[in-house]
Amino acid sequence: MNKETKRIIVVLVGFCLMFISLIVYISYFQVFKAEAVKNNSYNKRLWINEESILRGSILDRNHKVLAYSEKKDDLYKRYYPYGRLYSHIIGYSYREYGKVGLELQYNNALLNINENAAINEIKNLVIPTTEGNNLRLTIDHELQNKARGLLKGKKGSIVAMNPVTGEIYAMVSLPDFDVSNLKEDWKEISENPNSPLVNRATQGLYAPGSTFKILTTVAALGTPNLDKDYDCVGSTKINGYIFKDYQGKAHGHIDLKQALVKSCNTYFTEKSIEIGKEKMGNVADKFLINGDIPFDLPTKSSQYPYKGNLDKTDIAASAIGQGKVLVTPLNMALVASGIANGGEIVKPILVKEIISKNDKVMKSYNTEVLSQGTDPITAEKVKEMMVEVVKSGTGTNARIKNIEVAGKTGTAENASGKSHAWFVGFAPAKEPKVAVAVILEEEGSTGGKTAAPIARDIMIHVINNIKD
Amino acid sequence: MYNILAILFKYIFIIIIYLFIFSIIRLIYLDIRSMEGISSDNRVYLKLINRKESLPYKIKEYYSIDKNITLGRNNQNNIVVKDPFISKKHFQIIEDEGEYYLEDLNSANGTHLNGDKIFDAMQLEDGDIIRAGQIEFLFVNR
Amino acid sequence: MSKKGIRPKSPRNLLFVFEILALLLLFVYEGDKIDRLTLGTGIGLVIIIYLSNYILTKISYGDNYIFLIVTMLISIGIVMIYRIDSSLGIKQLIWLSIGIFLFFLTYFILKYIRGWKNFIYLYIIASYILFFITFVFGSRKGGAINWVSFGGIAFQPAEITKLLVIFILASYYSDTSRWKELKYGPYYLMGIIYSFILLLFLQRDLGTALVFYGIFIMIQFIYEEDRKLVLYNIGLFAIGGILGYTLFDHVKIRFQAWLNPWKYIERQGYQITQSLFAIAEGGFFGRGLGLGYPDFIPVVYTDFIFSAICEEMGVFTGIGIIMLFMILVYRGFKIAISQESLFYKILALGISILFGIQSFIILGGVLKMIPLTGLTLPFVSYGGSSILSSFIALGVLQICSEEIKIKEEFDEQRD
Repeated sequence: MNKETKRIIVVLVGFCLMFISLIVYISYFQVFKAEAVKNNSYNKRLWINEESILRGSILDRNHKVLAYSEKKDDLYKRYYPYGRLYSHIIGYSYREYGKVGLELQYNNALLNINENAAINEIKNLVIPTTEGNNLRLTIDHELQNKARGLLKGKKGSIVAMNPVTGEIYAMVSLPDFDVSNLKEDWKEISENPNSPLVNRATQGLYAPGSTFKILTTVAALGTPNLDKDYDCVGSTKINGYIFKDYQGKAHGHIDLKQALVKSCNTYFTEKSIEIGKEKMGNVADKFLINGDIPFDLPTKSSQYPYKGNLDKTDIAASAIGQGKVLVTPLNMALVASGIANGGEIVKPILVKEIISKNDKVMKSYNTEVLSQGTDPITAEKVKEMMVEVVKSGTGTNARIKNIEVAGKTGTAENASGKSHAWFVGFAPAKEPKVAVAVILEEEGSTGGKTAAPIARDIMIHVINNIKD
Repeated sequence: MYNILAILFKYIFIIIIYLFIFSIIRLIYLDIRSMEGISSDNRVYLKLINRKESLPYKIKEYYSIDKNITLGRNNQNNIVVKDPFISKKHFQIIEDEGEYYLEDLNSANGTHLNGDKIFDAMQLEDGDIIRAGQIEFLFVNR
Repeated sequence: MSKKGIRPKSPRNLLFVFEILALLLLFVYEGDKIDRLTLGTGIGLVIIIYLSNYILTKISYGDNYIFLIVTMLISIGIVMIYRIDSSLGIKQLIWLSIGIFLFFLTYFILKYIRGWKNFIYLYIIASYILFFITFVFGSRKGGAINWVSFGGIAFQPAEITKLLVIFILASYYSDTSRWKELKYGPYYLMGIIYSFILLLFLQRDLGTALVFYGIFIMIQFIYEEDRKLVLYNIGLFAIGGILGYTLFDHVKIRFQAWLNPWKYIERQGYQITQSLFAIAEGGFFGRGLGLGYPDFIPVVYTDFIFSAICEEMGVFTGIGIIMLFMILVYRGFKIAISQESLFYKILALGISILFGIQSFIILGGVLKMIPLTGLTLPFVSYGGSSILSSFIALGVLQICSEEIKIKEEFDEQRD
């Protein structure tokens, strides 16, 4: 073969590769990208159905209507009676701004469109769809409203859920925005430095502060050779960096339980070095930190980067929820749920069922176990300690008369200079009905003082009002 | 009614298009195999030694030999070579009891076997080089 | 090449079945709107395509596949165009008939008239005249000045120049010794081709400029003995690209629209995102003919026909089209390798590269794999100039697939 023929073959092979790359690309696009592209609000096809189908309503767990559509001038219009309250959960569905939140996630259900285009076509031939399905959420409207009120307009987030079933009772993120007034507010919303569009409950990453000690405690209990006693003098030096207790107060001779109850920083920093980052990281992984939480709304992953480069100072700092560890409020609610539920972490759910227009339940979402956070015995031990935190430790503001509450406070330092106030917990301790995570962003006060009372009010409401 | 047809037909169309592509690829594959077949299936053949590209006329890389073949400029020959130095009927190869013999057909410029001009029928062996005009063939008999 | 006994009988019948079914479906789709003319032209299409495939196997002992592949492509295209706009579909049918006629005409002209390699100056002059016409009489369509209309018939001169460029390259490289004697001989060719590319650039016809460059660099890569010229060429392309990006806004806009069309979705990114929506909505099997929304895609008849096909006939059909182009290019290269005459060998290469690169640029463009430049998808897109020039090119390729008569070729060599 002469060199021209060889070169011809080189060019031919080049062409074949080009065409094969086209085939690979189009297949890749169809498999991985198409779904997201289709849901872009500029896709006019999304709105074609909207002209002929009455979009379903969204209801709370007690069938209270939170969003509905009505015909107006030959066009269906979407109404949101509680403007701001569900901006991060239900989101919105407007031609101009597209769809977000559950409106996007459950678009097909709300319009009663089958996800398989072929089946959908055939279905349409038999009975053309004119009305969509309703969504019944796990949210309790009263509690949602109360929770938003408890934040008093401050930046922060609250997640309240059933630790056994995974049902979310309330999920608040402030600042929020008015979905029924997007047109007027859009410019302000999109330019606001406090980013009201972000759902802090699922996408806000915060230093967890002392609430993270729950996980350090789980890790400590899982380290058999660890000496659980310690003499606290109010400060300690690890790798040249000084860790101090709250207001430099020495706790004296303490064990693990007292350390958690009194939220002793020096205890956990010292012990975490002995526990080691691998063990700490494994516990964090089991509690879904570093992992994606499957949820109906977009989430960010919490992080405990133990596989990266962590020196001793980093390990010690992360043991008390500072340094490189960052969590979402939803993840902390799951941590509390895990302890409440004998170590089992269940999938958080927002949609209870999809109901057709003639009140038939089309689909209901059941409890799913996501992960075994820890074993039941360890969970029980940690639970006892957390009960003591509320009974006599930093979390006394969360106490409820006649009901045993378990919890942990947190005061997380951060770049802003003003600390975040945290409280995570659950009640009743014996038979948990509600797990809660509260964070007040840049509050500048302790979690015990400001976050714990909010959590208490929410727990009381759930225990008194939510029966099923 | 139309919708049902359209849905049914879209699958049929895809099947037809792929059958079409498949049958073309199969034909091309057969085509290539039939071209290469000479060198792999036939045990006795002539292989062109000259660079095919250097010759200004149609010639093939391989010619299989079954029984007798003749070479020449005339179209009646088994192997037609439009070389001006090749006679109308130049040489022939004859098979006899499994042996192959080369015989010159009174060509103007003669036939050479391994460099020597031949005057009589010569027995061919594997690896012999036959020259006629400006072309050289390798005789292969395995 | 001319292997007897194997006849592409089966694919020809498949093509036939495809067309009959498509016709049937379209008639149901149009319902009572069907008149006798449409019915006649539809059946006419089937007969023309079937007959021309049959006749070709009888008269040409060359390649039997390329025409078959092309008629499959054009059938898919016509079905889609007819579904979007029936009057355009009928027009396309007329273009196709003329195209097939030109295919046979080209075939016979090239078969019985020889000596095409001696007219290099004619090709060059004709190319410049066509550019001149475009500049003087040209009108802007979709951002590029590439249309000329005479007495109501609009055509794109660049479609013909493409073929001329291939003839120039083939004439040049089949007789390099003639140019080597001249001082700076090889640089003349480069200068001429680059002047074409520059003119296209000024007409804002980036797609065609890229096609010209692609054909040039590949032929040069194969046949240029002075390897440093190939390097110069690649270097010049890089410099030209960077200059084009910084100097011309329309180049920059295309680039940005490619990198992140979603950001510029209302303006520069509009076309490409509409195309992506269509492809995404189609899924692997499509929504079904007549059940999609090709009207949402801009310039759907020409540049974005592929997106509409993907939406209604599915990504699998889209992949089928890509594979058909791949086989077409493969056959073209196979023809070139088997061809003994250097001139016809380069012609075959040039035409295969033309089909390959043009289809790749536009397919990659509508898929957002590479920046989008406006080009037609050969044989599939609507458009008279595109169909006619493609069929002429195919006619040339058909001739190249035959063994060129030795005597004449011999005479040419002695000149």
